[in-house]
Amino acid sequence: MQDQPMTGYESQVQALIGTLPGTDDLRAQALEAFEAEGFPTAKTEDWRYSDIRALRKQVYGLAAPAETLPVLPEPLGAVSARFVFVNGHYDEDQSDLGDLWQTVQIRPLANHFMANAERANELVRGDDAISYLNTALLRDGLVLSVPAGVVIDAPIEVLHMMTGAEGAATHIRHVVELGEGAKATVVERFLGDETGYWTNALFQARVAEGASLSHIRVQEEGANALHTAKAYVNIDAEGSYTSVGLSVGGKTARFEAHVRLLGEEACAVVDGVALAASGQSHDTFSHVSHTVPAATSDQIFRTIADSRGKTSFAGKVTVAKDAQKTEADQSFKALVFDKTAEANAKPELEIFADDVKCSHGATVGELDAKAIYYLTSRGIDPATARQMLVAAFTAAALERVPAEDVKAAMADRIDAWMTARSVKAVA
Amino acid sequence: MSMLKIKDLHVSVADKEIVKGLDLEIKAGEVHAIMGLNGAGKSTLANTIAGRDDYTVTKGTIEFEGKDLLALEPHERVGEGIFLGFQYPVEIPGVSNLNFLRTALNSVRRYRGLEDMSAAEFMKLVRAKAAELKMDPDMLKRFVNVGFSGGEKKRNEMVQMSVLDPKLAVLDETDSGLDIDALRTVAEGINAQRRDDTAILLITHYQRLLSYVQPDVVHVMIDGRIVKSGGKELALELEEKGYADVA
Repeated sequence: MQDQPMTGYESQVQALIGTLPGTDDLRAQALEAFEAEGFPTAKTEDWRYSDIRALRKQVYGLAAPAETLPVLPEPLGAVSARFVFVNGHYDEDQSDLGDLWQTVQIRPLANHFMANAERANELVRGDDAISYLNTALLRDGLVLSVPAGVVIDAPIEVLHMMTGAEGAATHIRHVVELGEGAKATVVERFLGDETGYWTNALFQARVAEGASLSHIRVQEEGANALHTAKAYVNIDAEGSYTSVGLSVGGKTARFEAHVRLLGEEACAVVDGVALAASGQSHDTFSHVSHTVPAATSDQIFRTIADSRGKTSFAGKVTVAKDAQKTEADQSFKALVFDKTAEANAKPELEIFADDVKCSHGATVGELDAKAIYYLTSRGIDPATARQMLVAAFTAAALERVPAEDVKAAMADRIDAWMTARSVKAVA
Repeated sequence: MSMLKIKDLHVSVADKEIVKGLDLEIKAGEVHAIMGLNGAGKSTLANTIAGRDDYTVTKGTIEFEGKDLLALEPHERVGEGIFLGFQYPVEIPGVSNLNFLRTALNSVRRYRGLEDMSAAEFMKLVRAKAAELKMDPDMLKRFVNVGFSGGEKKRNEMVQMSVLDPKLAVLDETDSGLDIDALRTVAEGINAQRRDDTAILLITHYQRLLSYVQPDVVHVMIDGRIVKSGGKELALELEEKGYADVA
């Protein structure tokens, strides 16, 4: 059964040979690595919580451009630019570069490699079948280079929309580089219709000395979608990377953050909220690697699983022998709404230095019945009471979203998710 | 007409009968006190009036202004005009006192068919109430009861009562854990709530609070029943002779 999907992807790669300068060898290597590795199975340790049987049952074709353009939602807040990808294809008409192009090098990946074929060598190849496949089949994405010292205040929104793409996939790739002391926020949004598509997104970033990158992800894929996303981030001295995610959509969704702290006093934050309704699975895997002394990392995850929903968090922190004075914290808290809801936590610390401060905590519980009673005894109806408690529960994980309007929009989505739960409970 | 009318009330908690046939009538304008030892069923009675869902009424009725109170959810009872001051107020991390109070007040207003109160009007009201009850305004911004001392929690209960302005306030051991200054402030809060159109039910171990809030009727509760009722002098008698002798 494994063989058949593999063959299908080979012909897709063949069809892309010659389409993007500099990428042909890369595709061939990635395809080889993909075929050697094969998709994860239920037995693959790092994937044990995700149901990705769909990947072994069918070959996802490459999503064609949309026949009719969907109506796009408004940006989540004030933006300095907006890039729209429909079915994985850059949509120039619906994108808005604002004034950004004057200070920042920013363009679709395809155009970028047309101009600088050699830069294809900087593309991350991946570390498992899914990321290898992203590399083998990449077609489009965003390349953003912020020069040293340039500060972009309002977020850059990158909107992914999938429509009419039953059985099809997009292997999108974004490349972000921040020069020394630069600052930017990228808000990635994932949306789609009810078809059974696959979004396979890869985000790679380099944060130079003293630079600061915020990477916000709002995942609201369609109900039958498979969503796999990875971020590979390298941070130099005194640089910081802040990832805050909200995972609500899709049938099976997984986000991986692979963050390497490469310079002293570099800082990595990987926070997130995941909300799993019936039949949904949200899986987060993070690996933060402390390779030098005096870097810090902090991770706050809050997840909620309704009946027959599943959330999982696996957080790995490795501290190299020389990485003294490392500070690494990890806090995972899950709520489950009943006995059929599932929450998994797997903290993993590999520490080879002796002078470090590392901590992790994981709890799974239900909403506090005493608190609900207290709120209702002040006239607040039970649905609102639960909504307030959930907002309070998730607040810490959204706290580090730098743009207040984006943070509020994310909190609104959590409220809306709770409202949908209470309506369902009454019906 | 009675505001609250309880007839032959039996309440079980985890299949154990705690309230065993209790009758009580409270009219508008009255302050009643229920006194009794630990385990007499006082808190169970208070929480049954408020509608706590793990307390099961096995027999009897509670009417509030002629309505069947037991048919209503806890939040609806608040809308009708009932308030329970908790013996142990609950800490709610992540929810600010202000957000809590505003959501509560507007929930009650909506239940009564009123518009939400504007943010400015609400702030004015809450600041005034906090000042009356000598609560540090900074505590309004803090998370509900988190890190509050015992006295601060009870003061916070009084602020909530005063903002929601109930017809019937049931105050469960509001006096416990208070030093004398806090007790006076809380008593002033209770007295401010005492009007011709409101009623108050005080639940307490001790006579202490009753020297500041003079009750019209005092009831003695033992083993799930009211065994004796009288005027305010009954409280003093209890303090002097103990429950065994009086009952």
